[in-house]
Amino acid sequence: MTGQPSYYVMLFKAVSYALKAEKILKAEQLPHKLIPVPKQISSDCGICLRFESKLRTRIEDCLCNKVEIADVCPLIK
Amino acid sequence: MSEIKIVNATGLACPQPVVLAKEAIEKNEKVKVIVDNETALENVTRLGTKLGCDVSREAKAGGVFEITLTRREGAPIPAPDISVSCDASAAASGPFVIVCAEDKMGRGNDELGSVLIRAFMHTIAGQAEKPDVMIFYNTGVKLTLQGSETLEDLKELAAAGVEILVCGTCLNYFEVKEKLGVGVVSNMYDIVGTMSRAGRLLTP
Repeated sequence: MTGQPSYYVMLFKAVSYALKAEKILKAEQLPHKLIPVPKQISSDCGICLRFESKLRTRIEDCLCNKVEIADVCPLIK
Repeated sequence: MSEIKIVNATGLACPQPVVLAKEAIEKNEKVKVIVDNETALENVTRLGTKLGCDVSREAKAGGVFEITLTRREGAPIPAPDISVSCDASAAASGPFVIVCAEDKMGRGNDELGSVLIRAFMHTIAGQAEKPDVMIFYNTGVKLTLQGSETLEDLKELAAAGVEILVCGTCLNYFEVKEKLGVGVVSNMYDIVGTMSRAGRLLTP
C-alpha cells in the first residue's frame, strides 16, 4: 500500500446495485474493492465500490446503462 | 527498611485508582492503595500481579479495602505501556481476539453475509485498535486463501503485527492448504489456548 494511489468511491441507492456493479466489474476484470461507505460521506451503514482514480472513466463507461449510480466522489482519507 | 507510600483512591472511579497505583509503585518499593469498591480492588490487584509485585489485600470497615503492593527484589521498573482496564472481570487483561468461524458475517443471507465480512475486514484493517490475534476455522479459513476478497486486508493486518491462526484441520478438509495466503497453519491446542487467554473475544 505504498505509493498511495488516489481513489474514488461509487455510491448506489441500494446494496443490490452495488453487488450487480461488482459482478460486472469482476467480469470486465477492472480492479475495485467493496468497502463500507466512508463515514465522512454518509453515516448510513452502506457499502460502495472503491477504485483507483485512473480507472474512473473506464468503470463509469462499463456500468453506464446497466446499473443506477447514485454518486461518484473522491475518497479523502 | 522500606517506607510505605499511601495512595488514597477512595471516591475515585476507574481507571483513576489503577493509574495512581501504577505511578506510585514506579517510584516506591511498597505502596498501600486504599479503595472503596470491588472493581478498583480487582483492578489494582491485577495491576500488582502483572507488575510482579507481592499483593496483599485487607478489607476494612465501610466497604473500604487496603491493597499493599510490594515490589519484589530485582523486579524491573514497570513497563509504561501496561494498559488500564476498567473491566471487573479477571480475564480482561488477555489478548483481543477475533474469531472468524465462517466466511460470512451474520446468518440469514449468504450473499449479504459475504459482503458484510469483506466490509468488516476492510474496517478492522483501517482501525487503530487492531486485534492481537485472529482465528479462522470452518469456512472462515476461506477468507485467508489466495484469491480471497479479504486477503489484502488480512495481509495488512498481519503486517501490522496481528497474529493470524488458521485451522489446519479445516484447510485439510477443504483441501486448500497449499492455497493459504496469509497467517500460519494452526491447531486446536493453539486455538483453544488463545481463546482461553482472551481478554476480549469477538466474532463478526
